[in-house]
Amino acid sequence: MISLTGLNLILPQLIIALAAIIVMLSIAVKRCHRFTNLFTLLSFAAAAISVLYIPRGSFGVSSLFVVDGFGKFFTVLIACAGFVITLMSYHYLNAREKRNEEYYILLLLSSLGALTMVISNHFVSFFLSLEVLSVSLYALIGYLKEEPAGIESGIKYLVLAAVSSSFLLFGIALIYMQTGHLDLSGIAAGLSSSGEFSGVFIAGLAMVIVGIGFKMALVPFHLWTPDIYAGASAPVSAFVATVSKGAVFAFLLRLFYSTGGLENKNVWTVFTIIAVASMLFGNWLALRQQNIKRLLAYSSIGHLGYLMVAFLAITDRGMQAATFYLVVYFTGMLAAFGTVIYMSNKKGEALYIDDYRGLFWKKPWLAAIFTTVMLSLAGIPLTAGFLGKLYLLTAGTEVGIWLLVIVLVVSSGIGLFYYLRVVAVMFAGKNENEASSEPVIGKIFPHGLVLTLLFLLLLWFGVYPSSLLEIIQQIASVIR
Amino acid sequence: MTLVYIILILMFGGLISWIIAGKNSSLAKGIALLAVLADLVIIIGFWISVYDKFDLGSQQWLIDYRVEWMPQLGISFHLAMDGLSLLMTALALFLGAVSLIVSWNEISKNLGFYLFNALWLIAGIIGVFLSLDLILFYFFWEVMLVPMYFILAIWGHENRRYAGMKFFLFTQLSGLLMLIAIIALYFIHGKNSGQYTFDYFALIGTSLSAKTGLWLMCGFMIAFLVKLGIVPFHSWLPDAYTQSPTGGSILLAALMSKTAAYGMLRFVVPLFPEASKTFAPVAITLGVVSILYGAKLAYAQTDLKRMIAFSSMSHMGFIMVGIFSFQALSYQGTIIEMIAHGISITALFTVAGVIHARIQTRDMDQMGRFWEQVPKMGAITMIFVLATLGLPGLGNFVAEFLILTGAFKSNVTLTVLAALGLIASMIYALVILQKIFHGERRKEWKLTDLTPREVLAMGCLIVAIVWIGIYPQPVIKTAQPTVNSLEQNSNNTTFVNDTGPTNKMTLKNGDENMTMTRETSTFFLSLNKKGGGK
Amino acid sequence: MPVNYYIFLSLALFAIGIVGVLIRRNAITFFMCIEIMLNAVNLLLVAFSKMHHAKQAATLATAGIDGQIFVFFIMVVAAAEVSVGLAIIVMLFRNVHSVNVNFLNRLKH
Repeated sequence: MISLTGLNLILPQLIIALAAIIVMLSIAVKRCHRFTNLFTLLSFAAAAISVLYIPRGSFGVSSLFVVDGFGKFFTVLIACAGFVITLMSYHYLNAREKRNEEYYILLLLSSLGALTMVISNHFVSFFLSLEVLSVSLYALIGYLKEEPAGIESGIKYLVLAAVSSSFLLFGIALIYMQTGHLDLSGIAAGLSSSGEFSGVFIAGLAMVIVGIGFKMALVPFHLWTPDIYAGASAPVSAFVATVSKGAVFAFLLRLFYSTGGLENKNVWTVFTIIAVASMLFGNWLALRQQNIKRLLAYSSIGHLGYLMVAFLAITDRGMQAATFYLVVYFTGMLAAFGTVIYMSNKKGEALYIDDYRGLFWKKPWLAAIFTTVMLSLAGIPLTAGFLGKLYLLTAGTEVGIWLLVIVLVVSSGIGLFYYLRVVAVMFAGKNENEASSEPVIGKIFPHGLVLTLLFLLLLWFGVYPSSLLEIIQQIASVIR
Repeated sequence: MTLVYIILILMFGGLISWIIAGKNSSLAKGIALLAVLADLVIIIGFWISVYDKFDLGSQQWLIDYRVEWMPQLGISFHLAMDGLSLLMTALALFLGAVSLIVSWNEISKNLGFYLFNALWLIAGIIGVFLSLDLILFYFFWEVMLVPMYFILAIWGHENRRYAGMKFFLFTQLSGLLMLIAIIALYFIHGKNSGQYTFDYFALIGTSLSAKTGLWLMCGFMIAFLVKLGIVPFHSWLPDAYTQSPTGGSILLAALMSKTAAYGMLRFVVPLFPEASKTFAPVAITLGVVSILYGAKLAYAQTDLKRMIAFSSMSHMGFIMVGIFSFQALSYQGTIIEMIAHGISITALFTVAGVIHARIQTRDMDQMGRFWEQVPKMGAITMIFVLATLGLPGLGNFVAEFLILTGAFKSNVTLTVLAALGLIASMIYALVILQKIFHGERRKEWKLTDLTPREVLAMGCLIVAIVWIGIYPQPVIKTAQPTVNSLEQNSNNTTFVNDTGPTNKMTLKNGDENMTMTRETSTFFLSLNKKGGGK
Repeated sequence: MPVNYYIFLSLALFAIGIVGVLIRRNAITFFMCIEIMLNAVNLLLVAFSKMHHAKQAATLATAGIDGQIFVFFIMVVAAAEVSVGLAIIVMLFRNVHSVNVNFLNRLKH
């Protein structure tokens, strides 16, 4: 039973839910983009800060949620990402769309979905939060009415996501048949009592993997990603790349670590194949992209593949590596999309790599930031990406999953090609293209500020991450 | 802390000159040069102050600075300096200063960013020479990659982006393999001893099974072989060396390749003594192949910088032979070769750069009979061409002679083949002189002789190479403790697990080493007399 | 009635849904197919819920109830999904005057 005392445990989620309602009501009273934006910012900040008021330890909130260090960490991470995306959306929406207030309702709702997903401990709560996340995303992706590509990608995402949820549900139903439970601890208990994995259970897990793999855009369920990234507006793409994927990954960790599903050899092998394919295909397909958002889409497929290496290590170190890498990935992706937004103008986004030609000589700071982001995504030292990759390699090497480690190395080698290509273009000769001289959306405040902040974070995590590592080491062993 | 300051001065110097360059370019250049020179003064002052301590292997490590960095992962910020790293640091700073001087006017576009990259590159190289934590080492190893890539890709010649990409990919991929080896070593050590750390002193005693040791060593070796440009891994080298601007070529050929040789001496041989013994025949063969193949390719080139690049590859072969002979003499030879080759390749690339700046081509078929117009340049080039082909009295001769003498003890056949490289080098080296400064005039060029600034830089290099050729004693003495411990390592493959910063040598060992040193130096004196007599 | 019958029936429904999504090109049909798939799952869940209840009713009166509750959630979510989906389809119709997804090919690079 949920009691009022348990409410403080889900304070961040309550704040965001309340904020969504208030924004909705405020629109009915009076439209004011600035107020809505500020209010959204404040509620994200409040959600992040409210985590401090949650007592330490692991608490169940009814059987649906469990609030522990891991969940709290991801809550903060998602709230921060939401904060950054809200900040970056303001000028962008002003320039490209007339009615902007509903955007924030959708953003808050989808963040709510992500926030509840990371503390879910039950298939029902997982499914509900997944749908809250997805349904708001359908609308977010198609938000720009003037942009036909946006609507198209909205429909695409809608159909594919709905199909993948049905797969997920079918899988859940099969697991339910086998174990008689829908909560993760019950499933774990049911499994340990029956011993062997039955065929039905494995079939169920496989279908759950399809659903989750789709949300995380792992190969072979990745086909939607580049289209959605390219079609959606850049802030929404950033949201899909970070919050949506991160939250699902957090639940994946919880699901498989707490139920011990990975101990089955077949399941492990399936995941290994998925991870290898994601790393290789993601990076390989990114090579030929001229569109920077598609490039980032493929790159994110690769990065999720890297994360799977840590996931498959099934150790505390793997957990820590995954968590750390996810933080690094969030920072890098947000900064990358932030640069795309910064460079966009009223007509459209700076989609093509050529739009960045000679950027270094025009806007040295922006180019320096973007270079750092690219190097971080590529995993070059002095940036957070390197330590993230080091951590992943450590996790993989510890348990001797050599295949994955080697593939990780090879695919980061492939990755270097396209990251460097972007960097090289920025340092190449000046751009004669007229369009680039048009006023861009990015303003020093708040946009430049946010980018600088993310840039500093990338350097900070890359050079002196001790404090972050400490937090991660505290929270990351709780789950099992 | 001195070591930290040395690196920080360079990094801050780079930042400041980047910021200033927009307003006052010569001040920026001045600051960059000043930062390097200040470091050089610090290092030389330090060298003089500790010079007496090099007597007879009292302590290998002169400075040992260690603070916790990421204790959660067992990573520490550990810098230390012994004779070898002292020499290498001094060399890096000296050649870094020279590279700044010779490319003083070459870079006009985005000067600030160039200076920033150059200084950070030097800082990264010095970091590699000083770090004793494996992750820190890898960190610097990669840090020097990025500025080099920018130097190559922004200020390089016509084919710069291709060359830059190739360079970056080769070194980065091989580096990642090294990273895996490092991590694996970390876990093996951790499982053996319960202490998870990347610290060099802790890891050095890790006992490995023969197979594991070989695998891990291969991880390290691939990174080093690629950076050294040894034969099967050399394909990036001619492109990168050729396409860089002069300053970049110097830093790349003279310094970055040395980090690989240093890495073998510092990490491969001590960490995997047995595996490196197993690997030695392969390594020496690769070295010999590089010597001969490099010389052959050098001879076939018409592009001056490409030719120098292949000659450099040929010399790197000697370094491989020297390291994997496991003899005190060849270790000494290797260290001297690293220095002498650094100096002579710097000079040759400078000449190439100077000529390119004047006639905008590197094609030797379009040059000829330059001596009449530019006698100073010709004379200076001659000195370094002679150094390259190993004329007694100049540094390279000492080095190569020592290497071959040492190697002779371990493998006669291959040594003989390697010695053939000396003859081959004579052919291609003289071709440089012949084609450019003599021969027939193929085109009318308007040439101006070296400016005083260039003469100054070349003068410093000449003094250095002659000094090493005639009186290598300070270098030998400084490197002796390191060489001793290397030799001890390879002679004595079972270790005491705790090899702390002090070089644990019994008195008896010390006596033996004393005779060793004396042997080496008497050998040298006689050698120099012979060389001078010719 | 053995639970297998339910499994086969819902599998068949699910397969029909998948095939429909794969071969049809009409956005409205897509939604119908997705509804069929979701309802196949609902059938399955109710059947399993009953099965577990029958097995454990002696010890636990509420055994298997969670499956049935889940079904309600799925119904609600399906409704929400369709309402948003239809809104997007209306937007699509305004743009291209068709609900045929073959018009959607702008995103091919």
